[in-house]
Amino acid sequence: MKKHKKIIVYCCVAAALLISIAGLLWKKYGQRSTRYQCTNFAMGTYIQQTVYGKNATAAASAAAKRIGELDSTISWRTDGSDIARLNKAAGTDWISIQPETASILKLSLDVAKETDGAFDPTILPISSMWDFGGNNQHVPSKANIQKFLKYVDYKDLRIDTSKNTASLRNHYMGIDLGAVGKGAACTDAVDAYRSTGAECGIIAVGGSIGMFGHKADGSPWDVAVRDPTVTDQNAAAMGELSLTSGYVSTSGTYELCFKQNGTLYHHLLNAKTGYPENNGLTSVTIVVNDGALSDALSTACFLLGREKSAPLLKKYNADAIFIDNNKHVYASANLKDKFTITNSKFVLQPQG
Amino acid sequence: MEKKAFCRKDLLIIIPVLIIAAIMFLGNYLQPPSAAVAIVEKNGTEFCRIDLQKQKSIQIINVGGPMNIKLKAEPGAISFYHSDCPDQICVRTGKISKPGQTAVCLPGKVSVRIVSRNASSGKTYDAFTG
Repeated sequence: MKKHKKIIVYCCVAAALLISIAGLLWKKYGQRSTRYQCTNFAMGTYIQQTVYGKNATAAASAAAKRIGELDSTISWRTDGSDIARLNKAAGTDWISIQPETASILKLSLDVAKETDGAFDPTILPISSMWDFGGNNQHVPSKANIQKFLKYVDYKDLRIDTSKNTASLRNHYMGIDLGAVGKGAACTDAVDAYRSTGAECGIIAVGGSIGMFGHKADGSPWDVAVRDPTVTDQNAAAMGELSLTSGYVSTSGTYELCFKQNGTLYHHLLNAKTGYPENNGLTSVTIVVNDGALSDALSTACFLLGREKSAPLLKKYNADAIFIDNNKHVYASANLKDKFTITNSKFVLQPQG
Repeated sequence: MEKKAFCRKDLLIIIPVLIIAAIMFLGNYLQPPSAAVAIVEKNGTEFCRIDLQKQKSIQIINVGGPMNIKLKAEPGAISFYHSDCPDQICVRTGKISKPGQTAVCLPGKVSVRIVSRNASSGKTYDAFTG
């Protein structure tokens, strides 16, 4: 009898040890083997990806490759890109472009119409003078702004999405897709995750974010919303969004800006005036089901201001967080359970 | 005398074993929560990895590249020490030390991000918007 018992006890000891060792190994290697994080640079910004699943590495490199291709297709700075060719052909003929370029242009044009031209993809003549983030950023002369504002008009951009062609009606016109490119890159990345069979993943291209799938533990993605009052690059969070899918973009006065004679000039140019929009807002965050749209709407809603943005948000079924320079925060009703303020400097205002 | 699988005496062995197993588990969980590792990436590929808790002295790391970037690693923190880039955003970012923080030099294509050595510790976000 005694022998029997001893065997049982030994078995228990062995089992306990095995379980604890297996537990340690799982914690150390089991979860990590399926998670892949990487960073790279494209579209003039910093890209961070976190992808889960067996194909995580392949999915992340497929996404990076797609974004590189998109960059060389829609950047006006890249010689031979669709946009560079379109700008070069301004005032002459229609040119053929890739279907993706056509659909991004079409979306920009739609948003431009909805904002009555405050948001305008043909802003290049003005934005290239300001050169935010470039080597020659400065406040252009009033005379120059007046002179080149004449060449900014979305109505003179024509797109035929059935033939994938586009044209700019007048000489000196130019397209700048800076306000939609990063968001479009997020959509491309999510498509790449889907087609390579990743389990789930999240990508941040600058301040634009795309989410794919659900995290393995079932928890939502935690997306920090940047504190717009912190102007250095080391961003602090003012709140967090818990989301299960979709795209997020933020436009704020702190990014791509410079000071001249004590005045802060930021990159969110109103295409009607040619100057940075100063309407008391410091940042606008958009949550919607398309990357390029989230990016375009964050700029458009910033330019329109909170009240005037309401119809636009409704039309595209988008949710928004507006932060003004009194640190007052206004969030869409749909975000009530998804958005929490983590920095008590900011005060959530009742929604009107 | 009867066939009993367990008697009280056996518990004297089983309980200590369970306690040891529990301690091993907890020991793993309760690693210092600030275990931060800086990952330095150049052009999107990993350049080096620095365990900031093991860093005992100030060390200048030459990353190079078109902007001649130098980093400064010190106990618990890391920062951009030098860059030839025009905007100097990376240098102005200052020291970073907590998991989730990043410092980037866009013109130099060098990034430093802090990850937590122990995945379960601390609050980290999946992404930042803005």
